[in-house]
Amino acid sequence: MSAEPESPANRLEGLALTILFAAISSGLLAVIGLATRASAKGGWWTQPWLMPGIALGLLAVANLVTLWRDLADLRRTPPTDAEKVEGRAALVAWLRPLEFLAYYGVYIYSIQHAGYFPSTLVFILFLLWRVGLTAPRWILAGIGLSLFMVGVFRIGLGVWMPVPELYRLFPEALQTPLIRWF
Amino acid sequence: MEFLWLGLQQLADPVVFFTMCIGAILGVVVGAIPGAGAAVTISILLPTTFSMDPLNGMTLLLGVYCGAAYGSAIPAVMINTPGSPVAVLTALEAKPFVDRGEARRAMSLAYSSSFVGGVLAVLALMVLTLPLATVAKNFGSAEFAMVAIAALVLVIIGHGGRRVEATAALAFGLFLATIGIETAYSTQRYTFGFLTFLNGIPLVPMVIGLFAMSEALIQLTSRSTVHPVVQLKGHFFQGFMEVFRYKRTLYGSSFFGIFCGILPGVGEFLAQQVSYVVAKRFSKEGHMFGKGAPEGIIVSEATNNAVPPAALIPMLALGIPGEELTAMMLAVFLVHNVIPGPDLFVTRPEFVAGLYWTLLFMNVVIILFLLVATNTIAKAALINKRFLGVAILTLSLIGTYASGYRFSDVGIAMVFAVLGYILRSHRWPLTPILLGVVMGPIVENRMRQALGGANGDLTIFVTRPISGIIVAALAILIFFTLRGWLKGRKPRQDWQINDT
Repeated sequence: MSAEPESPANRLEGLALTILFAAISSGLLAVIGLATRASAKGGWWTQPWLMPGIALGLLAVANLVTLWRDLADLRRTPPTDAEKVEGRAALVAWLRPLEFLAYYGVYIYSIQHAGYFPSTLVFILFLLWRVGLTAPRWILAGIGLSLFMVGVFRIGLGVWMPVPELYRLFPEALQTPLIRWF
Repeated sequence: MEFLWLGLQQLADPVVFFTMCIGAILGVVVGAIPGAGAAVTISILLPTTFSMDPLNGMTLLLGVYCGAAYGSAIPAVMINTPGSPVAVLTALEAKPFVDRGEARRAMSLAYSSSFVGGVLAVLALMVLTLPLATVAKNFGSAEFAMVAIAALVLVIIGHGGRRVEATAALAFGLFLATIGIETAYSTQRYTFGFLTFLNGIPLVPMVIGLFAMSEALIQLTSRSTVHPVVQLKGHFFQGFMEVFRYKRTLYGSSFFGIFCGILPGVGEFLAQQVSYVVAKRFSKEGHMFGKGAPEGIIVSEATNNAVPPAALIPMLALGIPGEELTAMMLAVFLVHNVIPGPDLFVTRPEFVAGLYWTLLFMNVVIILFLLVATNTIAKAALINKRFLGVAILTLSLIGTYASGYRFSDVGIAMVFAVLGYILRSHRWPLTPILLGVVMGPIVENRMRQALGGANGDLTIFVTRPISGIIVAALAILIFFTLRGWLKGRKPRQDWQINDT
């Protein structure tokens, strides 16, 4: 649940979203014959395509209704130039989460090679820097959060992680606690 | 009596009691942090509960659920920002109290009405679940299918103003539930050759992606605003008894919350809205609603807190989750092979009785905690949103990974995170997606069984008495909803829009 209500969504952005959903649902519905298999045996109610067919049919209809509604609204009140600019900016904003998810992907990759604690620490500190939280108290908070994660999940709950290559470089006496807890 | 004694024995287990306290306190704290909340926390905690005893796991999640319902009132009163959408009305009504220098009174009204609503709902859970389960013993597949379909229809109707979007989201959830190997012929559906999807879309990564990671992405890309905190002054118990001066409103809204909690798909947000409108109409001080009426806070908080325990009634008795949080909790049941439904009272009486008592005592623990910690918790509500986003995103990884020890699950969560982010930014509801995924297999399997018994004759759903009654009730409900829609609606106000 988002804490604060966001400003009303841009209508052109909404239209783009609806077109995208309508295309995906129609596409999925179109390939139902390939993606599921009909059976000559059994009654109609047991056919594997029935439930996906109902769900996708409902999805396609709901998307078409939304599309029709959006188009009618835009015909009634054509978008202003400012709205068009805002719509384009909103579409570009869809890429913003992708940036953070790209960092997240690198984080997941690094866990398998550099270990959970070092990766988490670097990931948290990097994200804090990226979102502009660079004051010393945020760095301390980030370090605290990393230690909290390790304390609760690795040491406390014993969540297993693959053995990273980095830990293999340490002396043998250190390897066991590093692999087990960090 | 023996049944209830069994529950007390469960509660006396220090681990259960400790878990209850941790869950309740955690729930209050996350409920007070705008952007954290019960859905985010439960989705992240979900995999960690899989390794616990089912009662401990459920107690932890229920503690978060119930605690968050209380905690969301804290920022609503003290920084005039609702901790979750269900605290919007409390924020609206509490503002004039704060302006008058009566923040303590508003807080006390919120706490005491929450407590009464919560306790009455637990008592309703204790009294009503067994009779409902007894009735459900006579249910066949047709009845279960119709109850499940009724829940889905109510989910759509419950999203007034966004019913088409809710329909699309629900249909998408139902579709997702069909991916993987289907049971009747063991053929693949929509796997497109990916082995990862043979067992279907895993629930935990989907839930974490949709509810937690998408929230983190929103927080990471948002601007933080600083709100001044109102300090509570005065005695802890000041204003606690005032709530009983409005008995009719207090009990009326509590019972309405219980009723709505029992109905699958309604949820606290809609329950609260309807309760507020009804109370405003029937109150002698209806003109004061929205301008700092004590009854406004009472309605909001009593209804809101009555829903979570009541939502467990259909889940325990019928195995039908009513909203997103009980749908998540159903996963705990299934992981431990505890099958909710009429037989649960025979197979696991100690579990059910233990849940009853922990829920009852949870309300006491929460209220005691709030009495001493409100000022401190209010500071937690001021946590920087972007830091919160970083924390949620990092916690999401461990939650997703720990559910199956597969990094591929994290990839699935990332896809749902993007979807959730885009849908949220357009205020498309997410809850119907989850309910569609959880209810889809129930609907499909029960429909197949019912139609199989009737050789494909669809009249089976109207010729069986209970099923027929449900069909008739649904037909009437759909008729009136469509009629209202065709007649045109009044524009909805800000507090009537639920983000999920």
